This record gives sequence, C-alpha cells and structure tokens, in this order.
Amino acid sequence: MTPQSLLQLTSQKCTTGCPILDRLLYGGIPCDSITEIVAESGSGKTQICLQLSLHAQLPVSHGGLAASSLYLHTEFPFPFRRLHQLCLSFRSSNAHHFPVNDNPCDRIFVQSVHTADHLLEIMSKTDPFIENSKNQVPVRLIVIDSIAALFRSDFDNTPVELKRRSSLFFKISSKLKALAKRFNLAVLVTNQVVDLVGPNEGINGLRIGNLVCLHTSGRRVCPALGLAWANCVNSRLFLSRNEEVIREENEKSNGQSCDFVKKKMRKLYVVFAPHLPESSCEFEITREGLFGVER
Amino acid sequence: MEIWRLPISASQRGKLISAGYTSLSSLSSISSSDLARELKVSESEAMNILKVASHSRGSETSNASCSIVEGAQSAWDMLHDEESLMHITTSSADLDNILGGGIRCKEVTEIGGVPGIGKTQLGIQVAVNVQIPNDFGGLGGKAIYIDTEGSFMVERAFQIAEACIEDMSEYNRFLRKDFQECKIKMLPQDILENIFYFRICSYTEQIALINYLDKFLSEHKDVKVIVVDSVTFHFRQDFDDMALRTRVLSGMALKLMNLAKRFSLAVVLLNQVTTKHTEASFQLALALV
Repeated sequence: MTPQSLLQLTSQKCTTGCPILDRLLYGGIPCDSITEIVAESGSGKTQICLQLSLHAQLPVSHGGLAASSLYLHTEFPFPFRRLHQLCLSFRSSNAHHFPVNDNPCDRIFVQSVHTADHLLEIMSKTDPFIENSKNQVPVRLIVIDSIAALFRSDFDNTPVELKRRSSLFFKISSKLKALAKRFNLAVLVTNQVVDLVGPNEGINGLRIGNLVCLHTSGRRVCPALGLAWANCVNSRLFLSRNEEVIREENEKSNGQSCDFVKKKMRKLYVVFAPHLPESSCEFEITREGLFGVER
Repeated sequence: MEIWRLPISASQRGKLISAGYTSLSSLSSISSSDLARELKVSESEAMNILKVASHSRGSETSNASCSIVEGAQSAWDMLHDEESLMHITTSSADLDNILGGGIRCKEVTEIGGVPGIGKTQLGIQVAVNVQIPNDFGGLGGKAIYIDTEGSFMVERAFQIAEACIEDMSEYNRFLRKDFQECKIKMLPQDILENIFYFRICSYTEQIALINYLDKFLSEHKDVKVIVVDSVTFHFRQDFDDMALRTRVLSGMALKLMNLAKRFSLAVVLLNQVTTKHTEASFQLALALV
C-alpha cells in the first residue's frame, strides 16, 4: 500500500451550468464524493439533476466532465418532456461543442428503481456497465432522484426495522463511494424533507451543519432519513422556497405609487461541505433551466 | 528474579515452591545436600538447581533498576516522561486548554460529533499543525491521514496550509524582531507533501492498512500523528457475525494504542454519532461504543 500524493490529487468538479451557482460551490459538484440536495417537493431538485446530467457532457475545459450520466429515478414518471425542453436550450447555447445531428439525451441513461434492495442489485451491475462505457463516452455522473422514496414506506417503526434501515444506508453509501473512487464519479443524491412539529428541543433541536434549522414555505423542516443518512453523505445543499411579499415601485401618470406583489423566493444554502464555507444564494427556475440570481 | 523464572523443569519448580523456597535469596545460603534432603531429589539434581540459581542471580545484578516485571517504570519516571512530551496544537486556544495543551503524543484521542460540525476540518488542521517546526513550538513531524469516507478535499487542505504558514510569518514578525530575519521557507506544497494520504473503501482495507502501518512507521520515523477520518464508517453496515465485528474493532484499537506508545506519536480517531433512545428521551452517543 502506498500513500497517494496529495499534489497530484485534484478534485474535478462538474459545472451546474450557471456561473453564480458555480461560484457558490467553488466550481460545481465535486467528483469522488456524494453530494446531497435536500428540498421539499417542487423546489427544483429534479431540475438541478437534469441540468447537471446535460452539463456533464461539456468538455473539461468548459467545466464539464466530457461524460455521460446514469440517472436512477425512484419517483414516477420520469420527466422526459422537461428533459427534452432543457436539452433543446442546452444544445442551442452550446452548439459549438456538439456535432450537428447529435442529441445529448442519448448520453443520459435512465433506470427506474423500486426498492432499496433493487438499488443494491443495480449497483452491483453498475460496475461492469461503467467499465464498458469507457469505450464510448464514459459514465462519470450518477444521479439518484430521490433516495428518500426508497426508504419511506418499506420499514416499520420498530427498533429492529430501523436498525436494518440504518445498516442499508451505510451499505449503499459505502458502495456508492467505492464506485465514485474507482471511476472518479460525481454522485448526486436528492432527499426529501419532513416537518418538525413541536418545540425546538430534544431531537427537534439537533443542529446539523450551518443552519440552525431549515425553513421552507413558512414551515420548519428537517431532511428525511435522519442522522444515520446524514453521516453517509459528504456534502449537503438545501433548496428553500418561500412566498415573499415585496414592495414594487410603479411609476404612474399621477405620481409614484407602490404595489405589494407576492414573489416566489428561492434560495440555495450550503448546509455542510468539507470544502465550502457557510453561504447561500438566490436562484430562479426558467424554461432554460435553473440559474442563480445576483442581487 | 523469582523461582518461577528459573529454567528448570516444572516438577522441580513445584517442589521448590511447596518446600517454601520462593526467592533466589533463599537458595543462596543452602548447600546442595541439604536441598536434596528437603526436596527429596538426588544430590546431582539439587546441585544443578543451585547452579542455575546462582547463574541467574549473576545476570540479575547487571540490571540496576529493581523491576519486578521487565519493562516496568516507576510512576515518577512516567510523570517525568509525560510532562516532557510535546502537544500538537489544534489552533484553538480553548480547545487546547480542554485537552491540556493540545493533542498528546503516545495517546489515542477520539473526537466525535454530528455531521457538519467540523471533524474533518479538525483532522486536517492537526495534520497540518504537526508540521510546525520546532522553532515555533511544534513537533516538526509528518502526518498520516487515513480517509474512509472521502471527505478529504485537497483544496481545503491547501487553504489551511497557507493559513498556517501565514500564522508563522506573523509570529516571526512580532517576536523575532531582534534576531535576524529568518524567513519562512515552507510552502503550502511542502506541507501537503508531508501528509501521507490513504483512501480506503472497505473494512478489510482498513484492517490491512492498520496492520501495514507498523512497517510503514519503521520506515518513516518522522511521522508524529495518525488521523483516521471516521474509524467506524465501514463497520456500521450489516455484519453477519457481530462477534467478529467486536473482535476486529477491539483488535484495531489495541494495535493503534500500541503504535502510539511504540513510535511516540499521537493517534486521532474521528467518529460519528448515533441517537440512543432511552425511555422517552433521546441521547447522542458515539457510534459503536
């Protein structure tokens, strides 16, 4: 066994497609590590996943991985139409990187997953799959959307079952990390949230990461799957969405007046990451994708 | 030296002890014929015993300290040793105070916490701080970093190394104004080169690596700290044989303690936490305790 030379160990990153988000993440989603995105439904988790699968195909000089991606989805149906829409705008803005009749969607491999055991089965088959893909465009991004759906219905609330659930987390995470290291993959996992009811003490008051507690849609939430899963991921990002009432100045013919407008405010927070400081940024979701907003 | 240490047969030893001869000094003044009568053995046997006893006593006097068991030290010597040991600073004065000066050598320190609290950051900081040269109050040694989770980011280690060098330059400027300007010749790249980084992906690799460290440390004597980032991560999966897991874990802990004592280095183990449900409340506990 020889130690690795740290000077030759550079962590590659996959760009998110937006320079503002890339700046927040110090380059993008890192390879050889598991990044988790936590948000309530409708916040943009799947949008980011689709966007990343497309941008991973960019050449390394432009922040991509020059790679295809493996998209494991657990919630049905898979958003094919949205992917197609994003693909069109991706192609038009990056036309010079791809030949004329090329379809970036050809390089996103989609697989549905039904249970946790099914996921383990798939991962044992992923090894030869990625090995073979090295001949064409190698797979360098794995997305699991979402990991929470696999675990939220199959397990009873007894100590034995919960223990089994926890050991499954570590098994899956261990396999993903081994894959990530062997093929230098970036792994992106999405997770759901659960509401926190009751006073801010005991397990409700357990603070994990930079934020004292996570808020979205005016509710206090915490990531699903608990402390055990939190130990399995390397970085955690949180997407929040809130309805805010803001004043907008309007110029009218008889002087200035202001309207109160309800605006949707979306923010991306870094909950914990070994290489990122505590930070956040605002973003919006448009037809072309998910982009950061500089205020 | 006691009778039980003498290189004589077990039956002879048993006869000596049952006859009341428990120490070598008791054999010094007896003649071989008397001994033969007491033990009910032949005189040649008794002479043999006495010869062996006097031979052992001869080699015994060369050992100055009166140790009962080989390798024992008096408590006074131990206190002296402990006080002269250096500490590895954690770069936080409060934390150093709690630890009694810093991370101690010859000891295993376990640090646990929830995810995102800073365990990996502390591990990297210690791996950088151990390299602070002797002139600045550090150990001037190298570090071994065993990464089981993949949370070590080189760019972060680079940042920490840069900050450490900047710190040393500040110290230089303020306290060494009278002496000649000894510029810090260290670069962040040098600091990174002195961290031996191992990445392991399964518990078998972890055990193999810890067994291999013996050989590695005898070749690299300037290593002064071993950091294991999440010593329990690979053991929290389902093990078919839980007794095996316990055996393996305690074996690993013992080996690390041995390495710490033999090579006079510090071992820092970073651990995760789990929730322990006791009655109605919950408690945080270190994993696999």
